[in-house]
Amino acid sequence: MAATRRLQKELGDIRNSGLKSFRDIQVDETNILTWQGLIVPDNPPYNKGAFKIEINFPAEYPFKPPKINFKTKIYHPNIDEKGQVCLPIISAENWKPATKTDQVIQALVALVNEPEPEHPLRADLAEEYLKDKKKFTKNAEEFTKKHSEKRPTD
Amino acid sequence: MDLSVDQGPGLHQLSITVECAHLRNNTFLKPSPYVEISVDGTNPRKTETVKNTSQPKWNETFTLLVTAQSKINFVVFDRNNFRKDTPVGEKKIELLQLLSHFNGHCENLELTLDLMNENKQSESPAKVGELICVFQGLTVDMSRFPKPGPSATPLTQSNGAESAPPPRTVLNGVRAKVRGSGTENAAPERRPARPSASSPASTPVANGIGPPATVPNGNVVQNGEAEEGRSEEPLPPGWEMRFDTYGRRYYVDHNTRSTSWERPQPLPSGWEMRRDPRGRVYYVDHNSRTTTWQRPNSERLEHFQQWQGQRQHIVQQGNQRFLYPQFQPGPYPGTSVVVEDDDDGLGSLPPGWEKRVQPEGRVYFVNHKNRTTQWEDPRTQGRERIDDVPLPAGWEIRYTEDGKRYFVDHNTKTTTFEDPRPGAPKGPKGVYGVPRAYERSFKWKISQFRFLCQSNALPSHIKIQVTRQTLFEDSFHTIMRLPAYELRRRLYIIFKGEEGLDYGGVSREWFFLVSHEALNPMYCLFEYANKNNYSLQINPASYVNPEHLTYFKFIGRFIAMALYHGRFIYSGFTMPFYKRMLGKKLVMKDIESIDPEFYNSLVWIKENNIDECGLELYYSVDFEILGQVVHHELKKNGDKEKVTEENKEEYLTLMTEWRMTRGIEQQTQAFLDGFNEVVPIEWLKYFDERELELLLCGMQEIDVDDWNRHTIYRHYTRSSKPVVWFWQFVRQSDNEKRARLLQFVTGTCRVPVGGFAELMGSNGPQKFCIEKVGKESWLPRSHTCFNRLDLPPYKSYEQLVEKLTYAIEETDTFGQE
Repeated sequence: MAATRRLQKELGDIRNSGLKSFRDIQVDETNILTWQGLIVPDNPPYNKGAFKIEINFPAEYPFKPPKINFKTKIYHPNIDEKGQVCLPIISAENWKPATKTDQVIQALVALVNEPEPEHPLRADLAEEYLKDKKKFTKNAEEFTKKHSEKRPTD
Repeated sequence: MDLSVDQGPGLHQLSITVECAHLRNNTFLKPSPYVEISVDGTNPRKTETVKNTSQPKWNETFTLLVTAQSKINFVVFDRNNFRKDTPVGEKKIELLQLLSHFNGHCENLELTLDLMNENKQSESPAKVGELICVFQGLTVDMSRFPKPGPSATPLTQSNGAESAPPPRTVLNGVRAKVRGSGTENAAPERRPARPSASSPASTPVANGIGPPATVPNGNVVQNGEAEEGRSEEPLPPGWEMRFDTYGRRYYVDHNTRSTSWERPQPLPSGWEMRRDPRGRVYYVDHNSRTTTWQRPNSERLEHFQQWQGQRQHIVQQGNQRFLYPQFQPGPYPGTSVVVEDDDDGLGSLPPGWEKRVQPEGRVYFVNHKNRTTQWEDPRTQGRERIDDVPLPAGWEIRYTEDGKRYFVDHNTKTTTFEDPRPGAPKGPKGVYGVPRAYERSFKWKISQFRFLCQSNALPSHIKIQVTRQTLFEDSFHTIMRLPAYELRRRLYIIFKGEEGLDYGGVSREWFFLVSHEALNPMYCLFEYANKNNYSLQINPASYVNPEHLTYFKFIGRFIAMALYHGRFIYSGFTMPFYKRMLGKKLVMKDIESIDPEFYNSLVWIKENNIDECGLELYYSVDFEILGQVVHHELKKNGDKEKVTEENKEEYLTLMTEWRMTRGIEQQTQAFLDGFNEVVPIEWLKYFDERELELLLCGMQEIDVDDWNRHTIYRHYTRSSKPVVWFWQFVRQSDNEKRARLLQFVTGTCRVPVGGFAELMGSNGPQKFCIEKVGKESWLPRSHTCFNRLDLPPYKSYEQLVEKLTYAIEETDTFGQE
């Protein structure tokens, strides 16, 4: 496959860099177009848990951007109930073939840590976030406790 | 029929394989038996006849639409060539009884039916033989049906008991067993053996193995299983899940012998899968009584409904289109054609062409492919001829990527399109010996084209008789049956049952309707480029229709007929497709209108130094079609050759070529072949791609107020000077110029049925947009996928008119950069 070498290199680089906020990267050796991993946020209210994501690369990668999906439920204005996330770096207008998955993940982690209620996917949560931050934080914390994955111990 | 029970969840598909029969034969002559199957007394389906045997084997599979209460009747007939075929024996099955024996499942279920002779002569019916068939692919949620009675209590005691149970009598005269599975219970073998599946928790309701959605009580399905259960909806009949050598899951469709990465969706209600006499699978939509080759899914159905919704507007639209009234042939440039030597430096004629000389010495050209003649040399038609006159010192001729000639003056380091040679066809006269300004005009080009059509017209007429319901097929058969050149005779179109004289109105309607039919998404021939809802491109997946190339040839002929007879079609093609028809080279910019994302990536590679950013690109590329990834090497051993800053130009050229042709080469060629048989493609060379669209689709009155109302601005306001001038320019332009301006910005000259408010871009609704970009020395540019005009802040109305006019008339990339 045309994208294999590029993705193998990216995968190797990410694994070697030892990101703290993105762990447990699992790639089926035979299908390098699908990656799974664990997002480990630093900021409250998400720092009580970890979130599984899946990255899907199209056959035409890097001419077309990857797609990201949350596999763990998360209470977040920019991530909807289906796990879809709106990340500018991988949007059609902004995508560049030189953009690395590493950068995409960092942008994602930043978005999880600092929600952007100005560009919400879930308007109800964005409103809560802006109008009653305390309530939002409480809800998000509870939700995280209930649904998120265990954080790696090391 | 007992209607007191719940009507059930509607229609299901049941696949029945009629395998063989054992007939008792008491007479000397052996029968020639065939089987007729009917569901609830309608729509009988027949097997082939097997000659002279009482042990016939058919092994034919039928897919039937049934309800849980259906009665299926099997009749074995003896084929007789001289008299009516006589029934040998028959058996009726009540499906509900059968289903209740097998907990709602018919999967690999072998049935042995006692064939009874219901002959009038004999008092009581007698068994005359046995028919063996296999039921497959039916699953009904039995919780919706009350138990028919004690006789049909599900036989749970045999659950997993013996390894090869004997067939059981399930109905009077019907014996059944599940094939290839040790158990009699309908436990679906495709469901992985999870402990929970057989746990005591599964209540009788959970026996309905259908998708959880049909389980009336959600709480029956255990938590956590719900999500998995959804993805394990049973596969449609004939499908199988497999794993490839890499352990990836894929799906095999044994019906069509194809594979797919995506899990197939079950057929929508009212749809049925069938096989044609050659064993090819197709799909019947009983809702609309239509058929298609491609398995329907929700997206395709949505397109279909949208397409259908257009129907009511077609005729109205057709009446609104116009072009210039047909001209008398203008001053014909006969004198400018010079008798040339055979060695005229232009290379050989296109295949099928011959050069001849009239007795008085005048040269003309014969096209044997479609029996036309013309004065023009097909090699130079519509093109400027290169003169032998030498250039002034320091000048050089070069060609743009598009093949357009320009001149470099090394003395002043400038370039120009104007030929610097004295006496070159510039200024007042063009290559056709008429004033150049006039020659450029669309009107003049049309008159040239019309003249060629008229001078190659054939006497008399051809009749094309069609039924409205089967318009496309009728037209296809008539047009493909006739020799192509006959299609240049006058057309006499008859809609059956609406006989009237065709003085043009009927044929106008016919062209409009057939062209709209060709876009029927269910034919899978064309698709909308992007989400831009107006322009069409060849569907790379058209090969699901085994006859697709013949259909493309037909459409090629049909489009040529439309041009030849001066009729319009409903919807046009993409600009790159017209360029391809004109034999123009496709450039990177052309990708923008069909795949902007891909285009942006190519541009990025072109504009940036790629050596340092780890792109890891090689001369190879993948794309996905119908769930399959197709790999392509851009050149020999391309998998091993890395793309670098140094060789990237070559790479981009190869990528462009591949992107514009991937998966559609054969189809395009078939289309062009069909076209060329009716009208030599050389005749089009007067036109550029934008004019070709106008010629084919016609123009329509453009409502400038509506246009103005639904225009948005970026970095300009409604009252900015250039914007005011822009609208002044639009209002002062004639229809042709307005159409061309619209075409320049949106990629098509057509306005949506609902007006400018419904203008679509590549990502959904996208209003006409004017953005302030660049300096006054720049030309306006356009982004057709966003319906956006980049209008520099010009200093005067005159400047704006000059630049804008140049941009919309110049099709080469200079205007569009």
